[in-house]
Amino acid sequence: MKWSNVKLIFSREVRDQLRDRRTLFTIAVLPIFLYPLLGMLVFQVMQFTREYPVRIWIVGSEHLPRQPRLIEGTLFSAGLFSYPKDNELLEVVLADSDSDAKGSEELQFEAKRAVQSGDFDAVIIFPPSFSEQLERFRKQLGDSRLPIYDEAVGEIPSPRIIYDQTRDESRVAKERLAMVLHNWRENIGREYLKQNNISEIVAKPFVAEETDVASEDQRRAAVWSKLLPFVILIWALTGAFYPAIDLCAGEKERGTLETLLCSPARRSEIVWGKLLTIMLFSSATALLNLVSMSVTATLMMGQLEQLEQTFPELPMGMPPLISLVWLIVALIPVSALFSALSLALATFARSAKEGQYYLMPLLLVTMPLIVLPVLPSVQLELGTSLIPVTGLMLLLKSLMESDYQLALLHVIPVIGMTATCCLFAIRWAIDQFNNESVLFRESERVDPGLWLRHMVRNRGDTPSIGAALLCATFLLILRFFANFQLSTPESWSELATVTIISQIAFFAAPALIMAFILTRNPRATLLFRMPVGFTLPAAFLLAALLHPTAMTISAQLQELYPAPEQLQVMVQKLIDGAPNIWALLLVLALTPAICEELAFRGFILSGLRHLGHPSWAILLTSLLFGVAHGIIQQSIAASIVGCVIGYLAVQSGSILTCILFHLTHNSLAILSQVLMDDFLAFLPAAKWAVQSIEGGYAYSWPFVVASLALAVLILVWFSRLPHQLYAEEQLQEAIDNQTVRAVAK
Amino acid sequence: MIEVRELTKTYSDLRRDQFVAVDGISFHAQPGEIFGLLGPNGAGKTTVLRILSTILRPTAGMVSVNGFDVLTQPDLVRYQIGFVSANTAVYDRMTAWELVEYFGRLYGVETNTLRERMENLFSKLQMDEIRDLLGAKMSTGMKQKVSIARALIHDPPVVIFDEATSGLDVLVARALLDTIGELREQGKCVIFSTHIMREVERLCDRIAIMYRGHVLSEGTLHELLESYQQTDFEELFFRLISEHDQQHTAASSST
Repeated sequence: MKWSNVKLIFSREVRDQLRDRRTLFTIAVLPIFLYPLLGMLVFQVMQFTREYPVRIWIVGSEHLPRQPRLIEGTLFSAGLFSYPKDNELLEVVLADSDSDAKGSEELQFEAKRAVQSGDFDAVIIFPPSFSEQLERFRKQLGDSRLPIYDEAVGEIPSPRIIYDQTRDESRVAKERLAMVLHNWRENIGREYLKQNNISEIVAKPFVAEETDVASEDQRRAAVWSKLLPFVILIWALTGAFYPAIDLCAGEKERGTLETLLCSPARRSEIVWGKLLTIMLFSSATALLNLVSMSVTATLMMGQLEQLEQTFPELPMGMPPLISLVWLIVALIPVSALFSALSLALATFARSAKEGQYYLMPLLLVTMPLIVLPVLPSVQLELGTSLIPVTGLMLLLKSLMESDYQLALLHVIPVIGMTATCCLFAIRWAIDQFNNESVLFRESERVDPGLWLRHMVRNRGDTPSIGAALLCATFLLILRFFANFQLSTPESWSELATVTIISQIAFFAAPALIMAFILTRNPRATLLFRMPVGFTLPAAFLLAALLHPTAMTISAQLQELYPAPEQLQVMVQKLIDGAPNIWALLLVLALTPAICEELAFRGFILSGLRHLGHPSWAILLTSLLFGVAHGIIQQSIAASIVGCVIGYLAVQSGSILTCILFHLTHNSLAILSQVLMDDFLAFLPAAKWAVQSIEGGYAYSWPFVVASLALAVLILVWFSRLPHQLYAEEQLQEAIDNQTVRAVAK
Repeated sequence: MIEVRELTKTYSDLRRDQFVAVDGISFHAQPGEIFGLLGPNGAGKTTVLRILSTILRPTAGMVSVNGFDVLTQPDLVRYQIGFVSANTAVYDRMTAWELVEYFGRLYGVETNTLRERMENLFSKLQMDEIRDLLGAKMSTGMKQKVSIARALIHDPPVVIFDEATSGLDVLVARALLDTIGELREQGKCVIFSTHIMREVERLCDRIAIMYRGHVLSEGTLHELLESYQQTDFEELFFRLISEHDQQHTAASSST
């Protein structure tokens, strides 16, 4: 790949996009105006709540006590407000005193009508005996001979506020009325206490004081760390998607794609050039939104500070600077991932219009991943760190909250997962550019029956890529639902039954059935052929030599990201229940070795090899193999082992090699757990290689390194085995070597 | 220079299973020669030319351009050809000058040489007044000129024109044919596909008549007329096509 071509394509595409008004609107104009507009709206609402004058109708004002006073003249008493002038915001209309003549129901009816018609924003009715009852209560309080509560005095009747929740003005009026009444009631209480020479402390004997260990910065960071990643992600996706459509589907539609394809630029150079362009626009969109949001927020904060006393719980201050720095750092992988995904999807689309249709599904898939980290119970741990997007967001959150230890522990899985997803998406996009049926796709009738018949009728010797992915999806879905259905085994016999049945039903059977229906040559698909010469002993030796490394990796994983102890104890208990070592090996080593190999290295890998790149096929198969293992710590180990077995499958062309390696690997893992005590008693000299540690054994580092070195030698031997390449792989190899060969010519 | 042997291209099709667009055709073309592919719409001309320009891959057979194989050495083949087709549009948001320069640099033409060639091409194709015009604002004729300049900027030994005159007015089409004639004078190997017989008669040194994925006949105009004892090329064309149709019907009814 020539980077000068990538740069050339990149700068052309950027210039092209900048000349497009639609792009400029989405990335620049929209964010510049959006947040100020939103800010203005919020400000308007707040101002309305604060400054809008409301009309209040007071019925039964003649029943109010003289002291303390609720109403002075034609307004509420100024002393009841934090800002004395605020009483002018409530226009008071007193009802005629003849209202007493009406019944309370009639009064309420009239009041409701007054609110509904909008004549008044709220009505407050004081009942006829209000001040009398208050007075009686006060007298009784002052007379120490009387009991504190006397039935004869009775309760103090409640004033009634009538308002309309659906009208903003009415709601504001009601809130202000409630505030005025609250302050007035406190005044009355204080007055009573004063008259009786009782300290005000009686009403509030103590007030709890609060200490928040979070600093001001941390508090702000906590709020922003949930909000900002969300905003950034949404805009990074939007900013990636529209340019991607224009750059791929748009180019197809305008007929310039063929012009570019017959130029000497390689497909990978075209894809990288376009990808970098999309990334630039994706991050620019997110960044501009961030800037616009910050500027708007700063301006609004300034305005709001003037109102602070009326709004004591201000939303928040500006995000701390370090959070913004992390946000910008995280923007690179986020935009890379979204750009690669959008690019692959947009390449598939025939036209810009069709491309637009893919935005919704893409959003639907990404949205849960974006929302998940905002949920309160979701924390950064090994499992969540391996979920694309979610892991990245959680990592970003912990960085913004300055929880660096947690972040450091998970940075490798998160970046690893994000990079893997990016690379697969880029690979997918490049393959789309190489795929004639995608580039020159014509609209086909949607007919699943026809499609399925076509797939069976035109099946090749080995499964197609589509068939392999279909098989993998099917296996994973089967397993997922089976996990809910099958009961957790409680004894060894149950464990054995469940393992054997699920291995056969979910791995071996589907692979065999699909191999017979979807391929012409099931033997070639499932690699049913004898390996040459010393391949089998070599595979056995390789598994044995890799055993210490595998154990060390598992132990390290377990230490860094501990699995629930409960689970380990349970598994140990089940294993202890096994009748003998042979049963253990049969169920946990041989069965999975046969069934899983048939499915993964047999059907799936054979199909994925049509991609033309054996290493990509092996990697993808291994990842699927990892996902198929339930526990996350196991999945990672399985993915690594899967890569080795995949390589053996490609080099030896025989499923037996894979089964033998898998069997040896599993058996040694089991034997080392069960028989290590006996082994060390039998051969004390082995103690230099094996050390006893808490809860088990560990191999010493020199032993691990030495065995790994020997294992590498065997892998080199495997790399020299004569092996068969698929037609696609041969072609790809020729294309990759064309310049070299041409020079030789 | 160009060699096509037993070239077959099939597409997988949901309803027809396999659709054969090109069925085992062979031809070859030399430097300093204009080779015409004549055939009605759907004959498979565009497919053949797309394979020559490495945009499509052959299903079977061998195609080599200036000694490079289109299947295994597509990158090298692309340096040998300039491709102008109705499907190779110009960028809307780029000026004529920018577009030609862009492709020149993709081909790795050195800056000084590129500038010199561009000045030459722009004046020869009379494009100086549209130098700074955006693609979106160009007429069909102007766009075609830009495409030609784009295809010639790296001075390729092979130039391919696929239905290059379609949509052009008489004046522009005539100028284009003159340009193609000049390319022959420069010793380039030109492949020219069209469904217009007059263009073939006027321009091509050798002609292959294509129909339904087959080459029905190949040779110079004179050879073709002589071997079928015809005086009129149009008559010859219809005769070949109807003969093929009759054979086809006979073959399918006998099976």
